[in-house]
Amino acid sequence: MAHDFRALADEDLMQLVRRGEARAFEVVYERHATAAFSLAYRIVGTRNGAEDVTQEAFLSIWRSGARYERARGSVRTWVLGIVHHRAIDYLRRAFVHDRRRASDEGIEERFEAGERTEVEAARRDEARTIRAAMDTLPADQCQVIELAYFGGFTHTEIAEMLDAPVGTVKGRMRLGLKKMREQLASGEVMR
Amino acid sequence: MQPAGPGHERWADAAGAYLLGALGEDELRAYEAHLATCPVCREEVDELAPAADALPASVAPIAPPPELKGRIMAEVEREAALLAAAGETADRPPRRRWSVSLPRLAPLAAAAALLILGVAVGLGIGSITGGGGETIVAQVDQTRAPDAKVELQIDDNRGRLVARGLPAPPRGRVYEVWVKRSGQAPEPTPALFAPNRDGSATTSVPGSLKGVEQVLVTDEPEGGSTVPTRTPIMVAETS
Repeated sequence: MAHDFRALADEDLMQLVRRGEARAFEVVYERHATAAFSLAYRIVGTRNGAEDVTQEAFLSIWRSGARYERARGSVRTWVLGIVHHRAIDYLRRAFVHDRRRASDEGIEERFEAGERTEVEAARRDEARTIRAAMDTLPADQCQVIELAYFGGFTHTEIAEMLDAPVGTVKGRMRLGLKKMREQLASGEVMR
Repeated sequence: MQPAGPGHERWADAAGAYLLGALGEDELRAYEAHLATCPVCREEVDELAPAADALPASVAPIAPPPELKGRIMAEVEREAALLAAAGETADRPPRRRWSVSLPRLAPLAAAAALLILGVAVGLGIGSITGGGGETIVAQVDQTRAPDAKVELQIDDNRGRLVARGLPAPPRGRVYEVWVKRSGQAPEPTPALFAPNRDGSATTSVPGSLKGVEQVLVTDEPEGGSTVPTRTPIMVAETS
């Protein structure tokens, strides 16, 4: 039963997933599915697309669990890195860069995850804190970070889009991340 | 403070673009090569990585539909049952085709590069037959893996890659095995691997090699890709 594994840390669960233990994988899914689906939705912009990306990503995680390495960070960061890659891959396959995205507020009205547990409430607080840190960035730095990370655009494409030198775009990305890190570190929300 | 590596001026502003996945393929490879020699850039990547890692958590939480878990777990349980029936030493079950449609034409230049790879790599190839099986010496991209020796061992249409001297894949990436049939784009396999510390690696090529012209390996993001994002580090010609 999945219940038996719920007391285990993610890293211990991944050891079991590596051995083909489906119930351990189920717990990993339950812990990270909302974050994964939310990220996929934010990037691909459609509910069906987000479901496809989330399914691809988790089946990939199930099949490649042996590739998780503790030294490279948390399971959550690893999972979301895979989701991000799959979502950008999906975008590029579907050529939907010009899709119309629903606003975050609209999505929340329709599909908002309930704050059923303390963990979910903490995740929501974390999201607010990180968004607040992003809001402190100068608009041009925040813009290039969002276009790159959530839009899947290269710095060259962004430079063309904004009619700005490539070096300027790269510099804004670097400075934006640097400032964000400082903001997050001061707020003690770093993972 | 440690001195910067050669060519640091060119890459001094690239850490952010690298962490955001915003470098083009050629630039990415060049930057990763620079990272291997530049402690200043490595330090900056390590410093900025937590900010990039936090970005996914900035998204407002949206609950996935409950039926999504049902679909995923049905597949996981099916594969787990196959795995249990086959025993602990068996390979993971072969990857099923996704319910989402894959592109008719691979959109990435890397896919096209794979189709013409024989010209790009241009190194020696050999084949040793005997003992009921065949061993093919793979072509290796010596610019990325100057000390690597890779063989494809084939027995009864089943393949196994055996490598020595293979470098670790770049940070956040893993080696993925692909098979290519005549006139078709490379197909992903579930085989993802990283070499041991001594550069050795052994991995089975899932499925039958019947009709397969080439077995290829690229480095891909963790979890693998459905289309190749890099040119191969090695190719074994099976016909």
